[in-house]
Parts: sequence; C-alpha cells; structure tokens
Amino acid sequence: MSSGLRLDRLAKTFPNGTAALGELSADIAAGAFVSLLGPSGCGKSTVLRLIAGLEEPTLGRVDWPQTRGSLGFIFQEPTLMAWTSAAKNVALPLELAGMAKTQARERARVALEKVGLAGFADALPRELSGGMRMRVSIARALVADPDVLLMDEPFAALDEFTRSKLNDDLLRLWAERRFTGIFVTHSVFEAVYLSQRILILSGRPGRLVADIENPAPYPREPGYRTSAAFNATARDILDALEEISTC
Amino acid sequence: MLMRGLRIILPIALFLGLIRFWEWSVVYWEIKSFILPPPSAILAVFATDGASLLGSAWTTLGTTLAAFALATLSGTALAALFASSRITEAALSPYAVILQVTPIIAIAPLIIVWVGLDNAWLAVLILAWITAFFPVLASATAGLKAVDPNLRDLFRLYRADFRQTFIRLMVPSSLPYLLAGIKTAGGLALVGAVVAEFAAASGNTDGLAWRILEAGNRLQIAKMFAALLLLALMGVALYAILSFVEWLLLHRWHGDRRRG
Repeated sequence: MSSGLRLDRLAKTFPNGTAALGELSADIAAGAFVSLLGPSGCGKSTVLRLIAGLEEPTLGRVDWPQTRGSLGFIFQEPTLMAWTSAAKNVALPLELAGMAKTQARERARVALEKVGLAGFADALPRELSGGMRMRVSIARALVADPDVLLMDEPFAALDEFTRSKLNDDLLRLWAERRFTGIFVTHSVFEAVYLSQRILILSGRPGRLVADIENPAPYPREPGYRTSAAFNATARDILDALEEISTC
Repeated sequence: MLMRGLRIILPIALFLGLIRFWEWSVVYWEIKSFILPPPSAILAVFATDGASLLGSAWTTLGTTLAAFALATLSGTALAALFASSRITEAALSPYAVILQVTPIIAIAPLIIVWVGLDNAWLAVLILAWITAFFPVLASATAGLKAVDPNLRDLFRLYRADFRQTFIRLMVPSSLPYLLAGIKTAGGLALVGAVVAEFAAASGNTDGLAWRILEAGNRLQIAKMFAALLLLALMGVALYAILSFVEWLLLHRWHGDRRRG
C-alpha cells in the first residue's frame, strides 16, 4: 500500500518572520521515490514537517487524493529512546497505536531482522554504532508499514561507506514495501542514486527551481554510481544548482 | 585497579592518622577538654549518653526522611503539573522561587508560632520539607523540559496522548535530572531538620540539635562532638544510599563513563 499526495501552494513563514518556504506545488505519485535537494536552510525539512502535520502551513495545503496516508519519519539523528532496547524502540509506534506488547515486540524483532540487526533486539542504543542506530531508526519508521516514508537527511552524519550501504538497504526495502518515499538531502549524488525524481529548492524562502526525472531503472546496483547515465542526471542537477547558487 | 584501591585506602589511612594526631596533641599541649576533647573522650560519651543520643538521632532521622519523602513527592508532582499546564507554571513558579530564596531560618519563627506551639515536630517537618522541596521541583522541571524535541515530534506523529507521552517519554528523559535533584534534597532535608530544631529549641523537640544546644550550655564539648558525628554519619549514609539508587536506575542506560 502507498499513497500519493499533492502539495498545493504550500508556504510557511515562522512567527519570528523567517520565510522558510515559498509557494511549493508538486504532485507526488503513490509509490514514487522523490528527493528534495537544495542548500541548507531552504525549507526542505519544513516541507517534511508540513506533510507530517508537525507544523501548520501559513498558506496552501497538503492534499491526499485518496485517504490520508499513514506516515513514517526518519530524522537526521537516530532519535532513539536511550533508556530502552532496540526492540522496544522499534515497537513504539505499534504500542502507541494500542497493539499488545508481546505482538508489538515480535513485529519489532522481524523489522530489526529486515534491516540486518537480527540478534540486536535487546541491545541499548549506546551499545550500537552510528550506522546501526540509524538502522534501528529505519526499522522503527517501517514497522507499522507506513504509506509514506519521510526522511530528513537521515544519513548525513554517517561515513561514506556506511552511507552507501544504507542507501542500498533503503532501496531494497522500498522495492519490497512500495511506500512513497520523500527523501531530503543536500547530497547531489545521494539524490541521484536513490530517486526517480529530484525536486530542487532554492534558498530562503524555499522555492521549486527544477523538477528532474531520473529514468534509470531499479534495482540500482553500486555500479550505477559510476555509470554514464548517473553522470548525465548529476550534470542536469548541477546545472540547475548553478543557477541558484548566486542567490 | 591500583588507583581504585588507593581511593579507598588513602582516605581511611588519613582519617586514622588524623585521629592519632588529635589524641596525641590534646595530651601534648595540655588542651582543656571543654575546648577540644580527645577522640577517646568523644567515644566514651557513647557509653554514658549513647541511649539519649541515639534516641535524638532517631527523631532527627525520622523528621529528615519524612521531609525528604514529602519533598520528593510534592516536587515531582508540581513539576508534572507545570509540564502539563504552562498557565499553572506561570502562575505558581514565582512563589516557589520566593519560598526558595527566603532563608529558612527567617521563616522558622513564623511556622513555629503557627503550628509549632502545639506540635513542634510538625513545625520542624514543614521547615525541613520547604528546604528540600525546591531542588526536586527545579531539577524535575528542568528534566521535563530537556526532552529531545525530535522524540517529542515522533510521539506527536504517532498521535500519542499526554499520558503516553508523559510515562514513556517525559519521565524517563527527566530521570537523570530528577535523581540529581533528589540526591541534593536528601542532604538538604537533614540540614532543614536540624536548622528547624535549633529554631524550635527550648525543649520542644528532642532531636540532635537540641542535644547540641543542651551540651553546649553545659560545656559538654565531647557530647557536642558525638552529636555532630552522628549527624555527619547520617548525612553520608543518606547520600550513599541515594547515590546507589541513582546508580541502580541509570547505570545500564548511561553506562560507566570512565570505561567509555
């Protein structure tokens, strides 16, 4: 299951006067993997928070053509509860929704296996590496089988090696579950590798300056990173970014 | 390992050395025992006046523990109320600060007039409670505010109600802060109890402060030292127990920082 959504002239000005986001309109198809790319402070995170309902838009709205999709959110940091085990962290969304503990923990265990953390169910966050913590965070976001997965620069703090490994894992999970993925990043190469479509936002207030399709088929293998097709898409994006880098 | 052994052995060796020196110097310089009694005389007090001292210590300990329990419960409850309602916090927090910054010894006569004439023990309890209350309130409030904003968002995203957010997120996040406040409150409850006993004085209470006043009036300096020793032991025991509780609750989650 997945849901498409439409951003309809979405804008956000904070009470202190900061215009984070200009009027952003975009249709995001059900099951698509879309990246929001742009320099820091161009309202990319604000878009995710508006979709998640964590902020109210100043103007415009988020439309759900069918029913409002269920959401998963992956933050920049793993954002785990330090006082409790990986499994209990992952079980949180289910338990908050009222699922019985034993059933929720069992599903959490399965979700942890899916992200390669079988055997770490009882580990505390501080006993895990940065990459493993992020995997727990991914498992938690996916445990309730969301229609839409919102990701706010989730791998920005990780080393290159861990990051590309997690990119592959994310694509594998997306292929299995077919959620609608909205991925915020400021890495051109990460955006190209992951996405079917890249929305480029300019600096404050964030505005859509380019909407680039990436036709490369999935599954994308690590070899794609050095292919001519990859370079062509990256070139398009860099050209679009060139135009806004002066603002 | 060697360092850890030394950490235990050194203070004990120093303590024993100082006691020997004290005993020796009192004899050597012929210091009058109503100025500075030798440690052996202080120990001897426990043989003669042990029962009355321990009885008084029991009274003071009871007041301290009751005040500590009250302070912990009321401080935590009020902090929780503040966390759930900003209006309550805005309305009440100035009064909590006023109560905190006004010296307890200055409030004491008033409380004693109000409740202490019939029931000195209650007046002492109230004063000790006021003394210990604020650190619990302040630390619990700070802890409840220190919740990771992303985790708070996550709970909102999954539509957690206030009860779920409070129990699953706010209480555990604030626990390290709260426990630090509670540890301070333990010591302050003892300080408050003794100060209040001094203020109530004149035979109304039979806590250790009264024993100290009584012994002072009679120039029984060894007995004063014995009472002080009991107070110090009580304070240390309280601190040690609370540190242990803190360790029990937090060590798994925080880990032993020295081992990384």
